[in-house]
Amino acid sequence: MRERGSPLFRRHRPSWRAPVELLSFGLYFLCAVLLVLSRIGHGAISDARDGLVDLSEPLLEMASLPAIEARRGMDRVRLYLAAFDEVDRLKKENEELKQWEWRTKLLERKVAHLRSLLNAVEEPALVYATGRVIADARGPFVRSALINLGRNDGLRIGYAVINGDGLVGRTVDAGDSVARVLLLNDLNSRIPVLVGPAGVRGMALGDNSAELQLDFIPEGTSIYSGDEVYTSGSDGVLPRGLRVGVVSGTAGDYKVRPYAKLNSLDAVSVLFFDAPAITRADPPAAGDAGALSAAPGGRGEAAVTGASRPVAAVAPIPGQQAQSGQ
Amino acid sequence: MTKFLPALSVLFAVVATAVPWGLPADATFILPLVVVMMVFCWRAIPGAGLHPAGAVGLGLLADLMSGGPLGYWALMCLIAATVGGRAGSLGESRDLGRHWLIWSVLVVGLAGFGWLLASLYYFRWIDWWPIAFGAIVSVVLFPIVLYGLLWVRHGRLGHDRSAIFRGGA
Repeated sequence: MRERGSPLFRRHRPSWRAPVELLSFGLYFLCAVLLVLSRIGHGAISDARDGLVDLSEPLLEMASLPAIEARRGMDRVRLYLAAFDEVDRLKKENEELKQWEWRTKLLERKVAHLRSLLNAVEEPALVYATGRVIADARGPFVRSALINLGRNDGLRIGYAVINGDGLVGRTVDAGDSVARVLLLNDLNSRIPVLVGPAGVRGMALGDNSAELQLDFIPEGTSIYSGDEVYTSGSDGVLPRGLRVGVVSGTAGDYKVRPYAKLNSLDAVSVLFFDAPAITRADPPAAGDAGALSAAPGGRGEAAVTGASRPVAAVAPIPGQQAQSGQ
Repeated sequence: MTKFLPALSVLFAVVATAVPWGLPADATFILPLVVVMMVFCWRAIPGAGLHPAGAVGLGLLADLMSGGPLGYWALMCLIAATVGGRAGSLGESRDLGRHWLIWSVLVVGLAGFGWLLASLYYFRWIDWWPIAFGAIVSVVLFPIVLYGLLWVRHGRLGHDRSAIFRGGA
């Protein structure tokens, strides 16, 4: 048998090491380039991202179902275990709410009377559509969630997103059938707010933790732990008066504890509030001008017809996908 | 099909990462680091080829789903793939403990690098605790994930040196 190691018969074997090293270097370079492009917010990156996220929507929706059902099951078990305490608490709360209902009706009548005296202009109705969170973002950079509503449902970048507890965040990316919601506690989230009964102006800043920092409070103003925080609308993007949370912490280090449980979001509603800033930043396409008309009446009607996706299953009021509120 | 098993299993983990489990804010790093750990393990298991380009592709998918900057998890996966591919040749004693130690050192490095990169990206120091917590949990989970992947590959649990470690037979 011929010795394979003999220099005479040794065949030249190509070295595969160099191409592999080159490929690895190329991949590291690619990652670095993508990071830089993401940092400078290159349009091609965000377009590609929107397209790919749209494509992955059916997969994400399917994958999220077992997790959502498991979470609901756990909640049910927890509720069952604490049922008696919960009934007592709800009875007390019901009594308090009856008192509030009576006071609210009284105040409503008073406000209506004052408005008629002042000949005040009617506020436009807010239109909203309800969808479900289908994916969470995990990482050091973002606290966001993907929802199964997109441009086909009349959604645009900058819209406020709420749930039954309060403000959740705002839309920052929108594909045809999926949108990304930047949560309140994201590092990039800045919400102008009013604090307490005096309506002290401030800014709720996200820092990727469970609570928000409360900053830019004018000197000499009085803020107390437990004061309610709601949106001021001074950014020209979010509507005024959306519930954000309550003040916690001590003087000099005030925080805002959001009402919405941002770690376990399920059904959320997108408010179709077309502020001028939103219209400028994300103008409506020629085709859907009707769906997002600035006229409240027309927009409401169009939003109902536009939201033709099966989101009604998780809507708070069954049978309606987009409704007029307030 | 066996050829694509590593990529498919990591893809499954990437999708699971994006699912809204309702985990607390401190636990946000655990699932992505499990993905990185799986890449490391598949590269360390001899014969189970997960190409570095495949690892980068899966990392990019994780970036897409998380909404973070493209390239972050891809870079983490690529580093894990590079180290995982060389883990077997790092020493003569090729046992579970050795690989566990390599992963522990790697994840500490990745956590530090990831934290620095994230801070650089935002031009401010970001909270280090979720990253550290994720790294600690990933170290604890390492044997479970490694044996889980071996079960996926061979269809059985058990300590099979020739299956786990290079030249162990």
